[in-house]
Amino acid sequence: MDIDGKYYRSFKDRIKQLEDQHSKEKVDKQHAKGKLTARERIDLLLDKDSFEEIDAFVVPETQGIEFGKVEKHYGDGVITGHGKINGRMVFIYAQDFTIMGGSLGIVHANKIVKTQEMALKMGAPIIALIDSGGARIQEGIASLSGYASIFYNIIRSSGIIPQIAVIMGPAAGGAVYSPALMDFVFMTSFTSYMFLTGPNVVKEVLNEDVSFEDLGGAEVHAKKSGVAHFIYDDEENTILGLKKFFSYIPSNNVENPPKIEGTNYTPDINPKLLDIVPDDSNKAYDVKEVINNVVDKGSFFEISELFAQSLITGFGRLEGRTIGIIANQPKVLAGVLDINSSVKGARFIRFCDCFNIPILTFEDVPGFLPGIDQEHSGIIKHGAKLLYAYSESNVPKITVILRKSYGGAYIVMNSKNLGGDYNFAWPTAEIAVMGPEGAVAILYRKELAESDDPKKLKAKLVKKYREKIANPFVADEKGFIDEVIDPAETRKKLITAFEVLSNKWVEAPSRKHGNIPL
Amino acid sequence: MAKQKKKLYALLENKKYGFNLPLTETIKIGKREYKIILKEDEKYGTYILWKNRRYPVEISLSRQNKFDILFNYVCYSFTIETPFSLKRKQYLDKTKGPVENEVIKAPMPGKVIEVLVREGDNINRGEPLLILEAMKMQNEINSPVNGIVTSVNVGSETSVIKDDILLEIRII
Amino acid sequence: MNIKNILIANRGEIAVRIISTVREMGIYTTVIKTAAEPAAMYLSKANFIYDDTENESEIPVFLDIERIITIAKDTGADSIHPGYGFLAENPYFAQKCSDNKIIFIGPSPDSIYKMGNKIIARKIALSNKIPMSVGSEGKIPTENKAIRVAKKIGYPVIIKAASGGGGRGMRIVRKEEDMPKMFRLASNEADKTFSDHSVFIEKYIENPKHIEFQVLGDKKGNIIHLGERECSIQRKHQKLLEEAPSPALTDELREEMGQMAVKIASAVGYYSAGTVEFLFDSKGEYYFMEMNTRIQVEHPVTELITGLDLIEEQIHIAEGKELRYKQEDIKLEGWAIECRINAEDVQASFSPSPGKIEKIIMPSGKNIRVDTGVHAGSVIAANFDSMIAKLIIYGKDRKDALGNCKQALDKVWIKGTKTTLPFFRMLIRNQRFLDGSITTSFIENELTTYHINSEYEEMLAAWLATWLFVDENFDESSLKIDFEDAKNINPWLLNKRINRH
Repeated sequence: MDIDGKYYRSFKDRIKQLEDQHSKEKVDKQHAKGKLTARERIDLLLDKDSFEEIDAFVVPETQGIEFGKVEKHYGDGVITGHGKINGRMVFIYAQDFTIMGGSLGIVHANKIVKTQEMALKMGAPIIALIDSGGARIQEGIASLSGYASIFYNIIRSSGIIPQIAVIMGPAAGGAVYSPALMDFVFMTSFTSYMFLTGPNVVKEVLNEDVSFEDLGGAEVHAKKSGVAHFIYDDEENTILGLKKFFSYIPSNNVENPPKIEGTNYTPDINPKLLDIVPDDSNKAYDVKEVINNVVDKGSFFEISELFAQSLITGFGRLEGRTIGIIANQPKVLAGVLDINSSVKGARFIRFCDCFNIPILTFEDVPGFLPGIDQEHSGIIKHGAKLLYAYSESNVPKITVILRKSYGGAYIVMNSKNLGGDYNFAWPTAEIAVMGPEGAVAILYRKELAESDDPKKLKAKLVKKYREKIANPFVADEKGFIDEVIDPAETRKKLITAFEVLSNKWVEAPSRKHGNIPL
Repeated sequence: MAKQKKKLYALLENKKYGFNLPLTETIKIGKREYKIILKEDEKYGTYILWKNRRYPVEISLSRQNKFDILFNYVCYSFTIETPFSLKRKQYLDKTKGPVENEVIKAPMPGKVIEVLVREGDNINRGEPLLILEAMKMQNEINSPVNGIVTSVNVGSETSVIKDDILLEIRII
Repeated sequence: MNIKNILIANRGEIAVRIISTVREMGIYTTVIKTAAEPAAMYLSKANFIYDDTENESEIPVFLDIERIITIAKDTGADSIHPGYGFLAENPYFAQKCSDNKIIFIGPSPDSIYKMGNKIIARKIALSNKIPMSVGSEGKIPTENKAIRVAKKIGYPVIIKAASGGGGRGMRIVRKEEDMPKMFRLASNEADKTFSDHSVFIEKYIENPKHIEFQVLGDKKGNIIHLGERECSIQRKHQKLLEEAPSPALTDELREEMGQMAVKIASAVGYYSAGTVEFLFDSKGEYYFMEMNTRIQVEHPVTELITGLDLIEEQIHIAEGKELRYKQEDIKLEGWAIECRINAEDVQASFSPSPGKIEKIIMPSGKNIRVDTGVHAGSVIAANFDSMIAKLIIYGKDRKDALGNCKQALDKVWIKGTKTTLPFFRMLIRNQRFLDGSITTSFIENELTTYHINSEYEEMLAAWLATWLFVDENFDESSLKIDFEDAKNINPWLLNKRINRH
């Protein structure tokens, strides 16, 4: 081809025009807000030179615009394509706030839909980098139809390929359902927001003053609503976090999670585990210490760290292989199960089940949180979600009872009869229908009332109850747990057990889908 | 930013330590370079060997870009920044404005013996707010700021764990 | 009567310290094993161990008078050393021992009682013309009375618990409107801590030094003093560093104050080891504060400069023997400094930092003495004090001792908990401390941070933080991801996964 010829020249001109579109002025404006541009974000996320863009030169719909104005430009405010993260293929779309505020018109939406369809066909994960002012008002109903198609595709891909949303700017109105439907949501503090109705509408309708940050900032969603699973202080760390997260998950629902070679392993026999759980069952401890001393060194990666902190969820690795970890956190509210922690746990279990990630449960739970507020808000149905998720999942499931395991919470936390494959207990475990104090108060109500020294009698009975009932040996002898193990050997036991379970399959009854209590 | 990922900064309050990438295991003082050796052994645990001396180190927190390093028994809380995130930080500090609320958290687990202030009270820096009994000691929790008490979340006999919010003060 | 078997009603470093002397004397020791510390160091040093781990009482055994007496009888101990803290200054306990024909290694119940009650102690001091700050004549029952008395004395005043000691239950009041609140607080705390809510008021001496005299008396009425210790480095009345002698005293003043200490001890017929505490103000005036009727934490500094073993002397005295020294035999030689290395977070106002001691390597050498009750693996538990070790340093003079101390501090190696080491490393470089002029308000009024600021150490810490960040995020070689392995699935499973609904 003649490189000075007309065709080649206009080909080159177009590329130059596309580059010019990202003028220094626009880039500086984005930077001044503490934000990176869409292209910079992609560069940070993907392996060097691995990004292949699709539909870079589409132009926005300008026909039939009767209200406002749409200027002609390339790409329509979104960059789509595929590339590699640590050598593995992902699809990506990144909204470009510098072009018409990243607003979503029909062409913009079609580009996203095309990417979604490709990701599904190829069985590769998809990442959405969201930074958009919302629907393009000029295009009217067409942009709404665009949103609907995107949502429809997310739902079709759900449970087949991992779908991750990274919020790096505004996400307002109906647009928030796109991240909400995906598997995980990352947010950057102070420069990203998510809400259905913004502060202005809140002010108009309810006459309440609220700032963007307080209504839908990253911190609010990480701590209060639980919408955001991960928050970071800046965009570079958000992307580093996302890359790290990616090393735990498989590309689709047929593959296994990736294996990591040559990490520093924790010793298989670890005496540190003997010192963490206090003998006094009224004393708190940090269950993350248990987790960190069991999984590969430094491999624990917590999910929804700031939300419903009485239940810990996260990924870890055993000999380089990903496991999903659920643990009651005695340090927070004694590790009680409440509405938020039940929902958090259930959602996490279902992700692991979709993507072939084995589940490890560390149990030390005093029960469900009592109270009018919890009951009236439906802890019954929300607690049932956790129960449902555990029973429904057919990935390998192992429970280690560290200490308390009482009542309904014992059943819920992956008990043997819910389908737990291996249920281990530490010698410190207390497995019973209820805690010693409560049981004694009910069973010996009369004796206690009549006693001269009820305090002393109660102490005696509690001691007896602990010896006779609230220990792991009764359950062990009856077969409700598989083995009482030496805490120091926990890791070794788990590695063997997960190895045995690596080919586990449980045939589910044929049905359209179950009816989880939503 | 990716393209100029040549430098990292360790930030400690208002102090800034810059390190060029790739990070070398040396620190230059004047014209001489001194080698830093990070080691772990049975006798000493984890330590840094520098200029022929061992310094005990422990990593008490490592979360995203935040690191609490216990170096020779002194705790330093660093955040690691890139040139871009540093600029972003400066921009955000300007737009966020000053912190208006001081949240008083339990410094350790224990039991509240007495709350000495009520909502709406004007308090001065250093004034006792409440008495927390922990480890058999009655500890006076003093106000770090001048302000007005906006909420009191505990009463006497409340058991608290570390970092529980005891009360909040609006700074004036 | 010769003592043959001593029950040590205490734990930690003081139990270890007592045992080391007692063994040298050819006397047996018995210690108590508790459920809280079944593997404590002191257990390994004793001849006999009484196993009390099954004890379910809510009162810790070391505070349980009846139980200690029973244990002494069961184990055949003929005497009890109470150490410090716990029951050491409980007159009922001392009495109970004598009722049961057990030798209490300490003073008489009567002197413990008189000196333990600060109001009675004040009266005794007054009638013996011991210099004292002005104060209330007896206990103060109400807030209104407190206000009236304080007005008469003049602010600032200090409210003290009548049964208090060791700095507990004291409140300084600077203006009248604070009095009701402070009075309530002091009275509550006194009630909680000493089961006696009565308090009294004294004029508060601003910026004093804390100087105390060690006394030693026998049952025959001989009393001598062993010079002074200065304990002005303290925070909220908790001592952190002590030295002997004090840089503030002249020989004349030492002799005068020593005689005052002997005088007040004589007034209550004191025997065994005891400590008379004085406040020493900027004008060189001194005021009697209180007398502690026990062996003290900081006793080693006196031992180093006198060459005496105070525990040995206590036992001799308890056996009814005459003091082996006269006042003129006591010569103070050299200088000694004690640093209390505690499991505390100096960057969070010395709040306790309990945990397991993973490594502990203490320096040793000619001028170094270490008293400790822990070894690697020991747990600094939340329910006991936070002491890890006492580092006691000797030198031929103050400068020499300070130099030795600075070197020794850098050789301490403790891992597992936060410690007060950064505080001492800062202090040993502080000019005001080095010149010896500091007072008890030094820490709270003159210091803004309680730890050493070393430019190089901070830089190394910054490097480590950066290194960790790089290692975690940019070092691709540390994270080898095997995606092929993910596709390597057993056909048994693969078929089912593909065909699932």
